[in-house]
Amino acid sequence: MATMPASASDLLKSFKLKTKQQELLIRVSILCLVYILAFITRLFSVLRYESMIHEFDPYFNYRTTLYLTENGFYDFWNWFDYESWYPLGRIVGGTLYPGLMVTAVLIYRILRFLRFAVHIREVCVLTAPFFASNTTLVAYFFGKEIWDSGAGLVAAILIAVCPGYISRSVAGSYDNEGVAIFALLFTFYVFVKAVNTGSLAWSLASAFGYFYMVSAWGGYVFIINLIPLYVLVLLITGRYSMRLYVAYNCMYILGMLLAMQIRFVGFQHVQSGEHMAAMGVFFLMQVFYFLDWVKHMLSDTKLFQAFLRITVTSAVAVGGVALGLGMVSGYISPWTGRFYSLLDPTYAKDHIPIIASVSEHQPTAWSSFMFDFHILLFLFPAGLYFCFKRLSDATIFIVMYGLTSMYFAGVMVRLILVATPAVCLISAIAVSATVKNLTVLLRSKNKVVQTGSTKGSGGSKSSSKALLDQSQPFQKNGAIALLFGAFYLLSRYATHCTWVTSEAYSSPSIVLAARGAHGNRVIFDDYREAYFWLRQNTPQDAKVMSWWDYGYQITAMGNRTVIVDNNTWNNTHIATVGRAMSSYEDEAIEIIRSLDVDYVLVVFGGVTGYSSDDINKFLWMVRIGGGVFPVIKEPDYLVNGEYRVDKGAAPKMLNCLMYKLCYYRFGEMMTEYGKPPGYDRARGVEIGNKDVKLEHLEEAFTTSNWIVRIYRVKPPNNRW
Amino acid sequence: MAISYILLFILSFISISRFLVISKAGAESELVADLLTLQSQSESGVIHLNDRTVSKFITSTKTPRPYSLLIFFDAIPLHDKSDLRLPVLVHDFALVASSFIANHNGSNTKLFFCDLEFRESQSSFKLFDVNSLPNIYLVGPDAESLKDDTDQMEQSGFTRLTESLVEFIESRTQLTVGPIHHSPIISKKQMVLIIGFLLIWSPFAARKIFAGETMFHNPRIWLSGAIFVYFFSVSGAMHIIIRKMPMFLMDREDPNKLIFFYQGTGVQLGLEGFMVGFLYTIVGLLLAVVTHVLVYVKDLKTKRIGMLFSVFVSFWAVKQVIFLDNWKTRYAIHGFWPSRWN
Repeated sequence: MATMPASASDLLKSFKLKTKQQELLIRVSILCLVYILAFITRLFSVLRYESMIHEFDPYFNYRTTLYLTENGFYDFWNWFDYESWYPLGRIVGGTLYPGLMVTAVLIYRILRFLRFAVHIREVCVLTAPFFASNTTLVAYFFGKEIWDSGAGLVAAILIAVCPGYISRSVAGSYDNEGVAIFALLFTFYVFVKAVNTGSLAWSLASAFGYFYMVSAWGGYVFIINLIPLYVLVLLITGRYSMRLYVAYNCMYILGMLLAMQIRFVGFQHVQSGEHMAAMGVFFLMQVFYFLDWVKHMLSDTKLFQAFLRITVTSAVAVGGVALGLGMVSGYISPWTGRFYSLLDPTYAKDHIPIIASVSEHQPTAWSSFMFDFHILLFLFPAGLYFCFKRLSDATIFIVMYGLTSMYFAGVMVRLILVATPAVCLISAIAVSATVKNLTVLLRSKNKVVQTGSTKGSGGSKSSSKALLDQSQPFQKNGAIALLFGAFYLLSRYATHCTWVTSEAYSSPSIVLAARGAHGNRVIFDDYREAYFWLRQNTPQDAKVMSWWDYGYQITAMGNRTVIVDNNTWNNTHIATVGRAMSSYEDEAIEIIRSLDVDYVLVVFGGVTGYSSDDINKFLWMVRIGGGVFPVIKEPDYLVNGEYRVDKGAAPKMLNCLMYKLCYYRFGEMMTEYGKPPGYDRARGVEIGNKDVKLEHLEEAFTTSNWIVRIYRVKPPNNRW
Repeated sequence: MAISYILLFILSFISISRFLVISKAGAESELVADLLTLQSQSESGVIHLNDRTVSKFITSTKTPRPYSLLIFFDAIPLHDKSDLRLPVLVHDFALVASSFIANHNGSNTKLFFCDLEFRESQSSFKLFDVNSLPNIYLVGPDAESLKDDTDQMEQSGFTRLTESLVEFIESRTQLTVGPIHHSPIISKKQMVLIIGFLLIWSPFAARKIFAGETMFHNPRIWLSGAIFVYFFSVSGAMHIIIRKMPMFLMDREDPNKLIFFYQGTGVQLGLEGFMVGFLYTIVGLLLAVVTHVLVYVKDLKTKRIGMLFSVFVSFWAVKQVIFLDNWKTRYAIHGFWPSRWN
């Protein structure tokens, strides 16, 4: 019995880990926790509503994924979709980035193989959170590569909950960006690793990372321009090395060849002006290598310099002539409007209204930065400073990534997403370096007093020695206070992120929620009600006309053919629908019949007060319709430049098809106590035309809260 | 005899009337020729009208005139009013005019672009009944009364003048304008010069780069550039440039008061952005200064004061930004603990 305690303590001793092992254990468990945290913080929408796909575009992705699981890859690749853009159809295989769908199906197959009987929808819903978790791991390794493992851990924690990233990766938002940010960060990490080590294996990995990114998102253009820019800066600042040569050449050539396998991208890498920078830098690298070799061979410096002058001049001249010839002959296409609008931000406003009109493409105000980054914004400049104090190939990369993406984020709101990983990494460096210094101070026991960045400019040794001598009385207390301050700030960050995720970024927008009169949550599930009605009650080959916003949802959930959808590739077709919606009924019926339409679907928020309905979108229909068909004129629908639906509205407005379809039978309805019948709650007015009569269409179905209304097109009258 | 008289009469009538037609046609072609010379004298092809020429080309000619006039109403004293954007509009108008002339190879005699200046031609302004600027009128060939028969361009068109002007012309005159020739930022000669300069300069630059003695090798320059890019982005300067937001607004109720902060997400004013951008930047920079510069200060007192100063400034800046953000977006961030804990 007496030996028992001894043996127990022996056992404990054998379990006791060395400091290194302890550290490893802590690090791994923190990473695991972060991995789980990144996943569960994105599940608000699943808990609050149910496991479903959000928004508009994800429904198309879901539909294609479904097709891929059912019919296999080759059918998917050759798929001609006749259910959308009737009567034109759409070549789906050649006009999308297949990375997301293939990934989801792969996960689905693996789960099936492991005998988990899941539905493909669940996989699609959870793909984005899963990849967000993976991104945290990449962020850890990236942080470790550019600074130290502490910075890596902080970066992983920060990116796990950063609202800028969560906005596009909550459960159910099954969109390209969900996997693309992972691919982007992974490519960057592996490339930096390749530059640091000069190993072929890492650069091969970065080529494959790039390939995955190209297959997943059009934002790959950012990579193929940032990496050459980075290489160029390294060349200019005199940091050319063999490691860089190996990393870039391997990554560029292999990545380019791989990217050409994606049909939607095709030969753009050698033909489009957006990819020419990468090629130019590639040739420049060869020139550098050649010069290095010649320098090695020639011992005479003067001779070398003369040689240098001739080579560089001729190289630049040849490159310029080649580019000019390519541009003139039309072999190299000029930059696209989207690219121009990034470089010269006022370009879109003056030249491409269709880009300028999309709300995601608006320039960013300071409050959006605050909303998406919170305290990271304050830490970013400090992190920049730390990076400059310890310049290396890796920190130069992260600084460039941070600055370019920050600039682009200022140009367009949606590009905050691309900037998020960089902001998290750079801020993590600031947090980690500061906290590390403070804790070193606390643990130093007055022996080694080290302030400032530990590995910062090692310039003045004498002054740090002077520091050692004067031990400061309040140093520890100060450090403790500062540590508490830092943790307070970080906890505020966590609170902010959780709150933003729960309140702003987790609504599926296909199921609407509102607060009832007693503060309870009211759910409007009208969209799905309408789409399932279409699926159950209309003929298999029925064609549904609606505004393009709802196209993807109708084909995916209603399984019916639509005239236009969210892939806005054919402006004329959209304008035709816009024209039909804004014409009088007897004119519209001609267009409707010419398009073989059987049902017309409109979205109406007058009963519920849902403000993004078709009446509020109507002016865009008029504008887009009028852009192609000049018969439609915007002023006809306005009164003194004002958009109204009440008694004072323009006569054309009161009798156009959209108005009639939205307000049919609405004049009899009481919506709010104390208000006359026909009171529109979304616009807060009594409608102007309460006696709507339809001649060629009849009401087929209206959902329980009147949000979606479906009309059947009557067959033509018998002729004798 | 009578017949011959009648014949003679008819003949003479025909010849006289022919002469009349010819003289009318002659007068018309003279006017067109005058307009063409005026047009060629002006650099952009916009004819500068005044009261005299208005009466010569418009009021005293008989309808139908062989040409239409598109008149831009200008007032030089109002050029410095930024909300009217008159100089921009003048430029756009001249651009459309020169493009139109270039696209028709100068052979156009149907439409002429003109402008009227308020101080010189006040009576013409009265004739058109123009009380507000900017204004563009089209005087068609059949217009008799300048008040009633002329077409006025809608005010909404002035935001994107070149496009809407082209639309306006094409819909009212049935003439095509053709592509607008935006003048390139640098002319061909300059381009050649720049390329030549770059070619000569590149070997010298390359040598310096190899030797590592350019300013690009100085991290301080890179650092200040980086901080500037950061400041530029987070202060929403792009937003200001793209949306052309003013630096501040006048309060409508009290003209002496200025509004610097705009409530509502997605919109901001100029100074507001720069102030917040400054607050964003200062905290990070203070942290950097404290950890990298202040530690080398020898004097203990200065060190402590610097430390306390930066702590307080940082605290104040963070507090201020969060307060402003909550006020602007009206999102009140709350924690997930019971509300009585607050």
